[in-house]
Amino acid sequence: MRDNLIITRAAELDALAVFRGFIAQTCKQLGIADDVSFQLQLACDEAATNVIQHGYEGMNPGSIMLELQPGPKKITMLLTDFGHPFEPVETEAPDVDALLNDRPTTGFGLYFIYQTMNDVSYFTDERGNHLVLTKNL
Amino acid sequence: MELNTTAKGDVRVVAVNGNLDALTAPELADALSTQLRQGNAKLVADLTGLEYTSSAGLRVLLNAAKEARSKGGDLRFAGVQTNVKKVLDLSGFMSIIKSFPDADSAVASYA
Repeated sequence: MRDNLIITRAAELDALAVFRGFIAQTCKQLGIADDVSFQLQLACDEAATNVIQHGYEGMNPGSIMLELQPGPKKITMLLTDFGHPFEPVETEAPDVDALLNDRPTTGFGLYFIYQTMNDVSYFTDERGNHLVLTKNL
Repeated sequence: MELNTTAKGDVRVVAVNGNLDALTAPELADALSTQLRQGNAKLVADLTGLEYTSSAGLRVLLNAAKEARSKGGDLRFAGVQTNVKKVLDLSGFMSIIKSFPDADSAVASYA
């Protein structure tokens, strides 16, 4: 039977390195390629950063839960929080020239999530806000 | 993350070791801002020891490059490693920031 691949931390920035380490270790144990592991870590980092920095604004600091669900052909990451719902919508590639010249452009975080993952979905229910990130293997 | 700043003539080399994320990026922002405030606008970010960056680290590097250029200098990369290069490529950074294999060649590029 597979180990329970869930980790929960307070929604604070030091959780980011813990989550990346958890993904790296799990991928290594499962024989998942380093490149995929890296992309999972980046997507998780960007999504968790959004929750930590914005999800609990005006509320008591809460928690953030990461669950890995590996399958034969894909691995799914489920990020759950209990703050304000925030659906990450797909954005265009950030224009770095625009950023250098003080023109407004979209951020990198959401763009990275959509570039590295094969599927991104989001739903809210009585058990929290759930971001589901899927990567094909 | 660990930072180490050294002077090479009028160029300041900031070596970044470890991981750059939303927790650690402000420390790098402070280090680069300090150099720019002191009038050191020729900067090299030595990324030889940087294993990972998220968009939080990229924003700091982009802002420093913008400010350095506005002061007549630049921010140039040295020793970019595989995973960091993936993020830089994904963001389009490699097309706007000069990158060199090591710190010495990045410093020499200012001559």
